[in-house]
Amino acid sequence: MLSVSSLANAVLGTRLRIASLGLDAKAAAWLGAVGLAEGEQVVVLRRAPLGGPLHIRTASGGQFAIARELACSIACEPAPEIA
Amino acid sequence: MNKTRHSNPLTIALVGRPNSGKSSLYNALTGENARVGNYPGITVDILEGEVVLPSGARATLVDLPGLYSTQISSASGADEGVAQAFLDSAKTKGERLIIAQVVDATRLALGLRLTRELVALNLPLVVILTHGDVLADEWRNADSADCTQIEKALGAKFDLRALADAVGGPAVLVDSRKKGITKRACLEAFDKCLQRSLSARAAKHFHPASLAKSVLRYLSPRQKITEQIDGVMLHPILGPVIFVGIMAAIFAAVFLVADPITTLMDQMLGLARAGLTKAFGKNLFTSFLVSGVLGGAGTVLAFMPQIVVLTIALELLEASGYLARGAFLTDRLLRAVGLGGRAFLPLLMGHACAVPAISATRVVRDPRERLTTILVIPLMTCSARLPTYGLVLATFFSDRSPLFRSLLFISLYIAGIISALFASWVLRRSVTKGKGLPLVLEMPAYRLPQIQVVARKAGHAARRFLRQVGTTIVVVSMVLWCLLTVPMPGSHAERGIESSVAATIGHVVEPITQHAGFDWRINVGLVGAFGAREVMVGTMGVIYGVENAADDSAPLTKRLREAKKPDGTPRYGVRTACALLAFFVLACQCMSTVVAIRSETSTWRWPAFVVAYTYTLGFAAAVLVYQVGGLLGIG
Repeated sequence: MLSVSSLANAVLGTRLRIASLGLDAKAAAWLGAVGLAEGEQVVVLRRAPLGGPLHIRTASGGQFAIARELACSIACEPAPEIA
Repeated sequence: MNKTRHSNPLTIALVGRPNSGKSSLYNALTGENARVGNYPGITVDILEGEVVLPSGARATLVDLPGLYSTQISSASGADEGVAQAFLDSAKTKGERLIIAQVVDATRLALGLRLTRELVALNLPLVVILTHGDVLADEWRNADSADCTQIEKALGAKFDLRALADAVGGPAVLVDSRKKGITKRACLEAFDKCLQRSLSARAAKHFHPASLAKSVLRYLSPRQKITEQIDGVMLHPILGPVIFVGIMAAIFAAVFLVADPITTLMDQMLGLARAGLTKAFGKNLFTSFLVSGVLGGAGTVLAFMPQIVVLTIALELLEASGYLARGAFLTDRLLRAVGLGGRAFLPLLMGHACAVPAISATRVVRDPRERLTTILVIPLMTCSARLPTYGLVLATFFSDRSPLFRSLLFISLYIAGIISALFASWVLRRSVTKGKGLPLVLEMPAYRLPQIQVVARKAGHAARRFLRQVGTTIVVVSMVLWCLLTVPMPGSHAERGIESSVAATIGHVVEPITQHAGFDWRINVGLVGAFGAREVMVGTMGVIYGVENAADDSAPLTKRLREAKKPDGTPRYGVRTACALLAFFVLACQCMSTVVAIRSETSTWRWPAFVVAYTYTLGFAAAVLVYQVGGLLGIG
């Protein structure tokens, strides 16, 4: 069974798959528009100092800064290996 | 007129994610100068222009603000809300509308998410892929294939037919460097879209990432370069150091680069004054020219280089894509005072001019954060403060080293920033209390700024400043010359300027302002600068021109430095200079800003609030500085 943890705690550079979004519908729709939806793959590139936002790359090739509090609500699991 | 199909005007709406190249495309299609930037949400107003299609049909081209999704409800004042409202209204009214979606070809999968939503609107759709030039460059560098013709390269690697089939409308790829070809290709695509009936459109259901892979069989190496640069620019320790360094370098450059030019222009004005006096002799007309026109507007003109240098610096940051990195680095700090990273752009823009900065607050999604940002932007050190800062520094700190003066100059910027952050902290705990929205911000790839765009922006800033000097400041200076020359009815004319109308007004408020070290002359300057703070220097130029008419060629700095009280002591010292600077750091002396706040908030309540709180703070700070200076024995 795959272990699920929040995006905020992700190891930098690891490819993850979004398992679920613990957010209200409006916030989830907004994240979906930028490529952060259930099933999408993301990589955390870096974290800003002093608990600032996370810099992430989505499978669509987009890069985003997202607040840590949002990242805490995004549950992720390791992405399946490409065959 | 017959009610034919063509009597209904055609509108073509440019729709796209922020940073997709919409503004550049709009410029190429209409030849108009829309703002070209590299930051999410840079287009803050709906721009319109007319285009003529190859078939002869005329259409209004509309550049809508950036849009991520048609399915997210946004505040009506925000960029996304404006674009959504436009599309909803067009659909409801049944207007003849073509949606031209602008997609950054280097981020195709991301753009196709919005395409999928636009297809669902069931309106004629054209997909325009931009940044073809970037892809062509990358392909040329990435493989040894002889791709000298972009079209050849694109034909080989881009499957536009697959894209057109999927979206049910024409798809074109453009190169912003080739404006003629870009314009022709787009207009032909609009025509093709117009000729196809709506029923003929057969969009397919598609998955953005899969479609992107089938359309573009290439992995962009630009992403790798961006990630390598970000490795340094966003490093946990180096990143903040570089950020502070860049900001300090910009503000220091404004002073160090522009200072010699400003001094030279000031000296040239002195020579012009002497020349005019020699040519026309000493009379009322010469006094009007020398003191009223040259002393007022001319003195302000000398500060134009500072404004141009600042504009170039901010444009370079914006066009390169660094501003989003600034937002990333400052989000935590801004969050502590109740704002967020998205407020970084308007706050930084406030250093050039508060008016466009207030419009740019539309990128802030949270309404309370946006209002707070609007209310504190007037505290940022806009370029209109620079003439006064420059005059005070050149007058009272000329014996200090350039390093000392540039540090003092930077500290004035820092004072503005700290004041804005503190005001925000207070406001978010009182009048704009409430939880804010967490940050989600696109980080665009780095790009080399286009020199011609930066030069055009600098030219625009210079022209705007010249226009301001040529109209408002000339008029205010001339009116002031009259008020300083005409004696107050019933006064003793032999007292000269002291008996003038302006001096009498200045004397009336002196009992209050003397606690900050301001005499009637500074009071007249402050009254004149209520509508536009840059008028202050011109006003002082007129006052000292009229008062010291015998010394026409002396620069204003010298006249101020050497001015004496009746008892022979210097009229102004460092203490008064610092009090005046404190007032200028805080007071919102700008009618354009007041009107912009009214426009964005749709009420006079908030502009009145801004004027009241900034003037109160400004005067309190001036009194504090002057009185503490006195206690410390500063002259």
